Amino acid sequence: MIRPRTTTEVLEAVRAAVRDGRALRIVGAARWNDAGHPVRAPETLSLAELTGVVSYRPDDLTMTVEAGTTLAELDATTRARGQWCPLLAWGDDHGTVGATLATATSGPFADALGRPRDLTLGLEAIDGTGRHIVAGGRVVKNVAGFDLTRALVGAWGTLGIITRVHLRLRPRPAVDATFAFTPRGAGLPPMPIAALAQVPLPSAVAATLGVADAAWLLRVGANASAVAAARAALDGAGRVVELDAAAWDLVRRDSAPPSPARQWRWDPLSLRLRDRFDPQRLLNPGLLGEAP
Amino acid sequence: MTALATTLERIVGPTHVLSRPAALLAYRSDALPGHRLMPSLAVMPGTREELVAVVRALAADGTPFVARGAGTGLSGGALADGIVLLGLHRLRRILAIDPAARTATVEPGVVNATLTRAAAVHGLHYAPDPSSQTACTIGGNIAENAGGPHCLKYGVTLNHVRRATVVLPSGEVVELDRGDDGGYDLLGAFVGSEGCFGVVVDATVQLTPDPQQVITLLADFLRVRDAATATSRIIAAGIVPAALELMDQATIEAVESSVYAAGYPRDAAAVLLAEVDGPSIGLADDARAIEQLCREAGARGVRVATDAGERARLWQGRKKAFGAMGRVAPHLVVQDAVVPRTALADLLEEIQAIGAAHRLRVCNVFHAGDGNLHPNIPYDADDPDESARVHRAMGEIMARCIAAGGTITGEHGVGLDKLAYMESLFTAETLDAMCALRAVFDPERRANPGKVVPVRSCREWHATAAAR
Repeated sequence: MIRPRTTTEVLEAVRAAVRDGRALRIVGAARWNDAGHPVRAPETLSLAELTGVVSYRPDDLTMTVEAGTTLAELDATTRARGQWCPLLAWGDDHGTVGATLATATSGPFADALGRPRDLTLGLEAIDGTGRHIVAGGRVVKNVAGFDLTRALVGAWGTLGIITRVHLRLRPRPAVDATFAFTPRGAGLPPMPIAALAQVPLPSAVAATLGVADAAWLLRVGANASAVAAARAALDGAGRVVELDAAAWDLVRRDSAPPSPARQWRWDPLSLRLRDRFDPQRLLNPGLLGEAP
Repeated sequence: MTALATTLERIVGPTHVLSRPAALLAYRSDALPGHRLMPSLAVMPGTREELVAVVRALAADGTPFVARGAGTGLSGGALADGIVLLGLHRLRRILAIDPAARTATVEPGVVNATLTRAAAVHGLHYAPDPSSQTACTIGGNIAENAGGPHCLKYGVTLNHVRRATVVLPSGEVVELDRGDDGGYDLLGAFVGSEGCFGVVVDATVQLTPDPQQVITLLADFLRVRDAATATSRIIAAGIVPAALELMDQATIEAVESSVYAAGYPRDAAAVLLAEVDGPSIGLADDARAIEQLCREAGARGVRVATDAGERARLWQGRKKAFGAMGRVAPHLVVQDAVVPRTALADLLEEIQAIGAAHRLRVCNVFHAGDGNLHPNIPYDADDPDESARVHRAMGEIMARCIAAGGTITGEHGVGLDKLAYMESLFTAETLDAMCALRAVFDPERRANPGKVVPVRSCREWHATAAAR
């Protein structure tokens, strides 16, 4: 297994692979191994040692991290400043930032807080021709040039290996409350503010959380008076138990939707994209079900 | 009359193909002065079938073309240099509005504000609101990934496009989406490609529910630096304003001297226009917090407007600032760059210094919450000396923004105007990768040639050119 510690080492490994026509299986924390189809590659390139916060600018709400950095480290670093990068992906926080972006794995808060592609301001990657791409930037609005960042996020490593990313952060809400809700009658009442997430609570998860009869799990993040109003609306329509936000870890672990990698669309345009960035099919060949 | 013109006339009818120079004059420029180029002819399809047939005829002829919506762009991107101009303004049908799904499907020539007006009966609107929204088209917005004041909270065009049917320069018609069900983000790559990847035939965009309540605040400052500080503190406090706009003294003066006078204090060094919107519950708390943060940063006064009339008055100066600058000089270059928010205060001072050194007046009116600067320079484009000074000043401003960790455009695009800065912003390999991305959609480089990425940065094109 190749275990580069810098972008330059990834670049060298890919250029050697290009020269020899040797395919690479790319892994972060190696937690997505069975998400797609089997990868046909003699060698594995792991980004697990390409880790660390490169720069954190709390006042700009931006952060640059190496791709192998875990979501847990990202969360711990930003929490200290009352911020977060709300990727909060399906699975758990042992996964890496690079894999979360490469697989475009969102989570229960995606509609309210953004998907990986919305939280990625720019990135560095090595494509399948050995080009070192430095795309996007550290600013929150950017239309300079063609959007390589959007092309690479969600490509499952088949166009390029993401080595470093610039992320957009958000302040954590002033009040962040998680409620288990047991409706008296018709279900969820109309809410005065939009929830960060509201999901039907599987009974097994409800039992684990000690709220066996609860049917819904909600998270509300806003200023104090808005959260109080949301709580009052729930109180008026059923029984409410406030839980620690850690309750969402169970939902993230157990409710992941099926992987889109199993039903990849290989239309002519997608094949041309692959041809331009990985003509030799060196990066994760077979993962997205394409013909050899 | 050339054979191509005859073919195109057969497709769209003779009144919709223009080839006389006098008729083509209207297409010589966009909204940015300083770039003037004449197309060889202009063709305006009126239906999607005509659009596809026109693109196929151009493909068969091997002719390059430039797609154009309303021509309100600010990068020289919609100019055709002796090639065919493809006008899309006749394709202005709203094909469907689905209030339950909160989407609209439109042709590319639908005007941004027209879509919002059509959605209003459902309590919905189209959120991206460029200053040109009463004229600019959705197709143009998609090509440029357009922004606007309210994109701070609601996101830019890309965040509001669900899918699109696109005719590639080859004439092939393809469906693009974000790949959520298992596919590459081809729509994400297409939005903002400045007409170099293909032409939108129709697009489905998201509509946003009108907010229950809106509160607008105007804070005035005696130092620009304090207004920039207030901006950073508001964002860092976790409040997400719907908009957060900064106008400096030169802009205030231009606005207040014009028919668009909004009652901004003339002696202020800067005003900050902030807006919060959403459910009324808790909204007043956010507005109070903004007021408090502005006062702590040194605001002399804060006006709070809750009724529609007073809010409209506060916004008038912002929305009409570019028009107001028309009083000052015959031409106005509206520039665009982005820096990290924390660099705003220093950058604004440097921009003033650069303006002074070149004997130019710079009026700043911009999206402070995003760090998206718009340094505008009123000048006379027919004065070669002044034009040269504007050009030099803009180059220096762009260099400063890049050095501060920023970028050369946040919402106007590269077009022709920013081509020269691309090599100082991106590495040769990255520019080559951009060329590769373009080649996926337009391998013959016939759609809007010569824009966005300097031709010499493309290895493959270079190789073909050298081989010739």
